[in-house]
Amino acid sequence: MRSPTLTLPKLGVGLAYQAPLAPLLAAAGPELDYVEVVPDILWTDLGRTAEPRYIDDRAGRDALEQASRCRPVVAHGIGLSIGSAGAFDAAHVAQVERWRRRLGFPWHSDHLAFHLAEHGDAPMNVGITLPLARDRQSIELLVPRIRTVQQRVPVPFLLENNVYYFDIPGCEMDEPTFLNTLCRESGCGLVLDLHNVYTNARNHGFDAGALVAELELEHVGEIHVAGGMELDGFYLDAHSDTIPDPVWSLLEWTLPRCPNLGGVTFELFGSWFDSVGNARITADLRRLRALWTQALQPAVPRRVLAEAA
Amino acid sequence: MSLLAFQTALARLIVEPDFRDAVRGDGAAALPGPLTALEASRLVTIAGDRGLDMNRTLHKGFRLGKLRALLPLTCALLRPARLAREVAAFWQANPPASFSFLPEALEFCDFLARRELRSVYLAEVLAYERATLELERARLGPTPPQSVRFQHDPVRLLGTLAAGRRPRSVPPRPCLLLGSKGGDEPVHWTLVDAVSPLARYDRAHAADLMAA
Repeated sequence: MRSPTLTLPKLGVGLAYQAPLAPLLAAAGPELDYVEVVPDILWTDLGRTAEPRYIDDRAGRDALEQASRCRPVVAHGIGLSIGSAGAFDAAHVAQVERWRRRLGFPWHSDHLAFHLAEHGDAPMNVGITLPLARDRQSIELLVPRIRTVQQRVPVPFLLENNVYYFDIPGCEMDEPTFLNTLCRESGCGLVLDLHNVYTNARNHGFDAGALVAELELEHVGEIHVAGGMELDGFYLDAHSDTIPDPVWSLLEWTLPRCPNLGGVTFELFGSWFDSVGNARITADLRRLRALWTQALQPAVPRRVLAEAA
Repeated sequence: MSLLAFQTALARLIVEPDFRDAVRGDGAAALPGPLTALEASRLVTIAGDRGLDMNRTLHKGFRLGKLRALLPLTCALLRPARLAREVAAFWQANPPASFSFLPEALEFCDFLARRELRSVYLAEVLAYERATLELERARLGPTPPQSVRFQHDPVRLLGTLAAGRRPRSVPPRPCLLLGSKGGDEPVHWTLVDAVSPLARYDRAHAADLMAA
């Protein structure tokens, strides 16, 4: 089964919103085309049994409404836990839709993972994205849920390839096959997080470029890039630095091969803003913008090149 | 059904070191069912994976980060080593059940209050931050008034902590802080001195509050 063509506006280069980055966002020039926000920071979720369940955060709402007047705002959620076996959180989806209507997200995304489990009768929030087994069972769990999201939030929905520090052994599929199958069968797009691919490749000893080359890149609606750090023998997807050279190389290869790409987003946690510095962040945004512009150029037919020579 | 049990066990391997150690030691026998043989085998392998410990480090960092964000002054007052001890003891008995961690922060306040730790200012700082969280939690409903009794100058005490410094020799100032919140407005605090209440509160009202 082929998914319908992913149709996203070509936004360009985005920066993931964090409150300490607000001055940078306010001062940014044409190198920045959109802002990506984790919508979950815009509200407090008191739990599924609470009434009312969600409390909106006024400061966050004001900041994002201000940002949305200057640039498009794209949503990248962390709260859906779409792979949780226990329950699918339709109220969370409704909350995302409520904020889409308010901020006009042209697309939205979440993580291909789970973080909510159940222990006894109580929900358990691990707070980090845990991997799903790359099995047919997971595909069958995810596809109807993705379709529900697509029905209830009428803009394209993307899922991000996960970072994992342990893998689930004995999976039926490798990662590209799993991602390709999921996108094909569900019609969802992919947030291809190249820093996640790089992190997994470093920690688990595989070739990041070979993995990306196996992906059906027409499913990629957005690319994420970031920097990380070493800790206790692991390389972490810490969003703690500018983009490392191997991720730039992955991006340079991947970006022109994604025909349905809407944007490339740079992620940096706000707590690292001071140590990384405005100048290095801006330099990365400009380099991303140059790559984006280059990738949008129509390919020059070989015949024209030959004539020019 | 077994996928639910698998995910629960996987989450517990990260959150509960005792459970992780039991699976490392006893293998599949330590796993609660219902699990398929493949799921049990996967969990036993994961329990011995170094990456699991990294996930636990990240999990603790996330959970502690939520507490520090919601209770910044209390966490600053406790200092890192004591905070780490108290948080570890709290987590031992409290799985990370909440979604937003605001309820967890409230439970941590109650846990600390029960511990009766030796700290001159802790009870006052804790009560202040707990009252603030209660006002945040009640934002959309009828907001119960919050009053926090201070024995030390709250302006000096809270201001020093908020500036990232340790409070020392904060002068006595028996008083009340009265917290209110309207709609989604920020929390508003009013100080009422026990001796000379602010003009907007008459003495009888202040006395009622002090007696409350």
